[in-house]
Amino acid sequence: MTPRPSPQRNEAPAEHQEIAITASTPSPSKGGDPGAGTAAAAVELRGITKRFPGVVANHDINLTVRPGTVHALMGENGAGKSTLMKILYGMQRPDEGTIAINGEQVEFSSPGDAIARGIGMVHQHFMLADNLTVLENVVLGGEKLHGIGGRARAKIMEISDQYGLNVRPDALVEDLGVAERQRVEILKVLYRGARILILDEPTAVLVPQEVDALFGNLRELKAEGVTVIFISHKLHEVLSVADAISVIRRGTTVGDADPQQVTARQLAEMMVGSELPSPESRESTVTSTEMLRVEALRIAKPDAEGIERVVLDDISLTIRKGEVLGIAGVEGNGQAELVEAIMGMLPLTAGTVTLDGTDLTGALTRSRREAGIGYIPEDRHRHGLLLEAPLWENRILGHVTEEPNSKGFRLDPAAARKDTLRIVQEYDVRTPGIEVTAASLSGGNQQKLIVGREMSHRPKLLIAAHPTRGVDVGAQAQIWEQIRTAQREGLAVLLISADLDELIGLSDAIRVIYRGRLVADADPATVTAEDLGTAMTGAASGHLESDETALAEAAAIADEQFGRSDAPGGGATGTDEPSDAPADTAADDAQAGE
Amino acid sequence: MTTSTEPAQRGRLQRIDWEKVGLSLAAPVLAVVISVVISSIVLAVSGRDPFQAFNIMGTYGSASDAQVATLNKATTYFISGIAVAFGFRMNLFNIGTEGQYRLGALFAAYVGGAVNLPSFLEIPLVLLTAMLVGGLWASIAGVLKVKRGVSEVIATIMLNAIATSVVGLLLIPGRFAPTVSGTSNSIQTKDMAASSDFFTITTQGGELYGFVIVAVVLGIAFQLVLNRTRFGFDLRATGRSEAAAQASGVNVKRMVLTSMVVSGALAGLIGMPDLLTTTHHFGQTFQLNLGFIGIAVALLGRNTPVGIAIASLLYAFLDVTAVQLPLKGDFPQEIVQVMQGTIVICVVVAYELVRRYGLKRQQQKVGAQLAAQAAAAAKKEVAA
Amino acid sequence: MRRSVKLAAVVLSGSLGIASLAACGAKSTDNTTTSAGASGSSLKVGMAYDIGGRGDQSFNDSAARGLDKAKTSLGVQVNEAEAKQGESDADKEARLNSLVTAGFNPVIAVGFVYQSAVEKVAKANPNVKFAIIDSASDTQPSNVTSLTFSEQEGSFLAGVAAASKTKYKQVGFIGGVQTELIKKFEAGYRAGVQSVDPSIKVDVKYLTTPPDFTGFADPAKGKSAAQGMLDNKDDVIYTAAGSSGSGAIEAVATDTANKNAWAIGVDSDQASQPALSKYKDHILTSMVKNVDTAVYTFINSIKTGSPLTGVKNFDLKQGGVSLATTGGHIDDIKAKLDEATSKITSGATVVPTAPPAG
Repeated sequence: MTPRPSPQRNEAPAEHQEIAITASTPSPSKGGDPGAGTAAAAVELRGITKRFPGVVANHDINLTVRPGTVHALMGENGAGKSTLMKILYGMQRPDEGTIAINGEQVEFSSPGDAIARGIGMVHQHFMLADNLTVLENVVLGGEKLHGIGGRARAKIMEISDQYGLNVRPDALVEDLGVAERQRVEILKVLYRGARILILDEPTAVLVPQEVDALFGNLRELKAEGVTVIFISHKLHEVLSVADAISVIRRGTTVGDADPQQVTARQLAEMMVGSELPSPESRESTVTSTEMLRVEALRIAKPDAEGIERVVLDDISLTIRKGEVLGIAGVEGNGQAELVEAIMGMLPLTAGTVTLDGTDLTGALTRSRREAGIGYIPEDRHRHGLLLEAPLWENRILGHVTEEPNSKGFRLDPAAARKDTLRIVQEYDVRTPGIEVTAASLSGGNQQKLIVGREMSHRPKLLIAAHPTRGVDVGAQAQIWEQIRTAQREGLAVLLISADLDELIGLSDAIRVIYRGRLVADADPATVTAEDLGTAMTGAASGHLESDETALAEAAAIADEQFGRSDAPGGGATGTDEPSDAPADTAADDAQAGE
Repeated sequence: MTTSTEPAQRGRLQRIDWEKVGLSLAAPVLAVVISVVISSIVLAVSGRDPFQAFNIMGTYGSASDAQVATLNKATTYFISGIAVAFGFRMNLFNIGTEGQYRLGALFAAYVGGAVNLPSFLEIPLVLLTAMLVGGLWASIAGVLKVKRGVSEVIATIMLNAIATSVVGLLLIPGRFAPTVSGTSNSIQTKDMAASSDFFTITTQGGELYGFVIVAVVLGIAFQLVLNRTRFGFDLRATGRSEAAAQASGVNVKRMVLTSMVVSGALAGLIGMPDLLTTTHHFGQTFQLNLGFIGIAVALLGRNTPVGIAIASLLYAFLDVTAVQLPLKGDFPQEIVQVMQGTIVICVVVAYELVRRYGLKRQQQKVGAQLAAQAAAAAKKEVAA
Repeated sequence: MRRSVKLAAVVLSGSLGIASLAACGAKSTDNTTTSAGASGSSLKVGMAYDIGGRGDQSFNDSAARGLDKAKTSLGVQVNEAEAKQGESDADKEARLNSLVTAGFNPVIAVGFVYQSAVEKVAKANPNVKFAIIDSASDTQPSNVTSLTFSEQEGSFLAGVAAASKTKYKQVGFIGGVQTELIKKFEAGYRAGVQSVDPSIKVDVKYLTTPPDFTGFADPAKGKSAAQGMLDNKDDVIYTAAGSSGSGAIEAVATDTANKNAWAIGVDSDQASQPALSKYKDHILTSMVKNVDTAVYTFINSIKTGSPLTGVKNFDLKQGGVSLATTGGHIDDIKAKLDEATSKITSGATVVPTAPPAG
């Protein structure tokens, strides 16, 4: 561990915005829009500060959003984006600072006030009633606006056509896909007269094709004069859709950027405050020793109506020592069941699971863990942690039968505590102590604790399901690096991820899962995210190979985004002590910036 | 970074702990206060002087014989609370301790009456019988839950009703009760052998149950098993999050069955202090509702031995002193049931509020401490 | 963890500490000046009721009437308390002890549930006179007097009345709790019914089984049981179930299908009880158990200095049990009842005390 940034590093501790295109004074100058200087800003936040007891969530935030633009608000998880948007949407009141909408200073005491001012918010988690139709969902709570009958329907169709939302008013929401539901949410907000739209991480739940469609909608909205505030931490998405970008770090605005001029890498550095590591694969560590073999796995279980449904069918795969096998797929296509089947949490209808030559088909979860399977679950709150238990008890979870947690049948809390301290230190878990509950840590630190715990038992196979989901960039890099380090030591990894860049960057081989079957495979070196996305929707199968130009294009974006070209063969990040140092310093700097 | 924070952690740990103690005391104290206020209102509305009522209870409660009676009662309540808490700690709601202890006591009394061994064999035999029967009866609900997914709450409630009938079926002359002639209107099992008498501690206030010591041992064992064994960790993990426990390798089904049986076996002991010390037979006047009192006491005591001990003493005090209310003044003793009821309701609500507040508070604290740490680090950096 | 274990140990041993403290405190019985014995001019009578207490319209109320009578005509002081649901013998002992401590003598325990408590307290207080209603035991000390009744004889008469009034040839019996005592009611009733017409069917239902005594104090249970019998075309229902009986009477009186159904009350003359008098047109009679007479007789015997001792049984001959005639519904079958009565008092009919097995 190199805990401090080395003095010879060329930038100053990335304190503020040397790398920002425009310094922290919000600049109205934005290419191609001459009227910008004169028209009142759609949203103008000045000196917004919000303190929670003991914590400053927002500190002196300044944000100017011009009307009729898509304005991206970027920042790591926990940077304070959500708090800021809650303030703008009237869910919380700022302790200091002013809000001006269309040049008029306002004070919101509830979301109702914000809605009255034409502000609407689409939450990350949709708030729709499944058993009602689209029409009913839209009208629900807004009955006074256009009634509940023909007038409402006409209005909905009008909005839908106007913005190209393409919704079917009589469809049941439970029959809709994620993207369509999102459009209903947007429509719901527009129906209530919103002219300023806040979208909280709208792309997190979408596949690439759907993201493109959403961006199309956003452009339509913009064309009609609607202002969109777009919250995201996905760099290339922001660059492709936004007209202006503001970056928040550690609760304060660190700068604005012009998407025409800034690179993904520069943006990322603004967010984290230092250089970024990359997820690129280096020289292959794949060996010929087979570690995990899954053969002809099949799981059928009755659904709510009692009809037998096949959730996994004829799944066969092998992972060798030092290999990362990535599974791509739209959520709900059997990934979760595959993981649970290998972990022994779901009974198999047919098939075998063999780890390092040992047949584990009938083994219980505990013996599988003891046999050397490490598990980073998809939903860490549900499956990975005891949220209300202290950290050291969480360190025991899943390894209660193993050293140092127990001696025989007796628990050894002293040794577990000591080892937790070690994990906290080695894996850089930001916590004031090991007696605090897991719930009080941020998502990234929770995940680092889980990774540290699983890695501490020297697993032979690591099942990593969305290991960096909801994790900030700094922690993300650390987790990637830890997986790679272990891979070099011969760890086999089953990686399940919705982040196709992560999959392509980390995996040695990729399989695509669709409706419970492995329908396609690909070499991450010769496939683009777009082609993977196509296979994920079931439109392609077999061996995927993207054409040269698309690949080159993707590589260029990736280069820009992750600086892969800076590190041919891992040069810049180093090969021996790879990215521990940058990761660490990145995080440290981020904190120093507070 | 870590080395420098270590001493700070210790200090902080202490602080958090004290706050935790304060928080966990706040809920029950608040609940007791509210219940006193409510019952005072009830008394006042019905035209009686609440202060006199509490005075009667307080005066009697401070007498030595009342204290011994309170402790004896609390012993039983404590065992009942522990039995329930064992299941509660893993979110397994064994509402069936009522039926489990009745059956356990009936069989124990029968066995104790049928055999006559030296004390060191007789007493363990009686206790084991009670635990075995209680555990077996509870295992029915456990098996139903594991195999058929029947909610243990429903199953145990039903089993309570069935247990009552089973007792009625067995406790008739010629089966578990000896055929008696004459004028006696009560039926009961044969008196147990004298060797089954459990020792008592003679105090100025009367005979104190030797079972107090058994209860203490049980409490300590409960704490040790839960906090210092692998089994206990699995149990608590399952209670905190069944999904996480299963993913961590806990065999949840086996856990359910085991805990149900252990809870039932402990429940079997509920009737033992009375049976082995005072009644010596299971009859029509054998005390009921002890299982339900255990649920209340476990809730109030937050499923920890210390909490349950305090809650048991409180409940026992109320029950013991209630008897005096109609004798020493014109007070309905039911007012105590009103108090007990309000305490339980208030405490359940208060605990949830306190829990949420505590979690939020800790999250904020952690945030603040991390920010402070970062600030300190930054300062150091500047200095360097 | 270790900390909490220690804490547990400390607190639990602390509770033992309270025990030793308890040994130092004064007993609640120490600070009373009154000692046992009818020293003063007025007798102090303590009464401990069974579950339900005063106001159960039945058994306890009957005892209370005896006490009230003693209060007015003998000028005794009284203090009363009733049992709680689900209390232990220790609670009963505490109740009796408190009465003794406060100088009450005699102390009357209403109901056999007090048997072991009375025995224990009586042994500890040999100078205090105790009476227990409905129970007797070989082991009770000489300062305990048992007041028992020949319920089967009264129930026999109730059976005769029921058999004479039934139209469907089907009658019902509801017992509060399936105890030996209540079985005496059932046995007498069955025998009485059969003495009139052996073909009449007797439906029997007990509300609870011991040790669950809620059957004596749950009118809702009584009501639903009676309703079940009415639906089954039983048209005379005899309920021996303490205060649960009021529910059964209500069910009979308000039944819409059979407006001519009859209820037979128990213990007190239930047709003249204020709470039940509105149903008096449907209460055929009540098998009155003259607990009041027994209580009064006992108190009077102490007052006059010739206390009753041992087991004192009140039978039909002595007027311990009888049928109530309020409303005159049984006037038409008086001859039949008188004949049965004389057969019993003469010994010609021996009423069984237990129902046929099975």
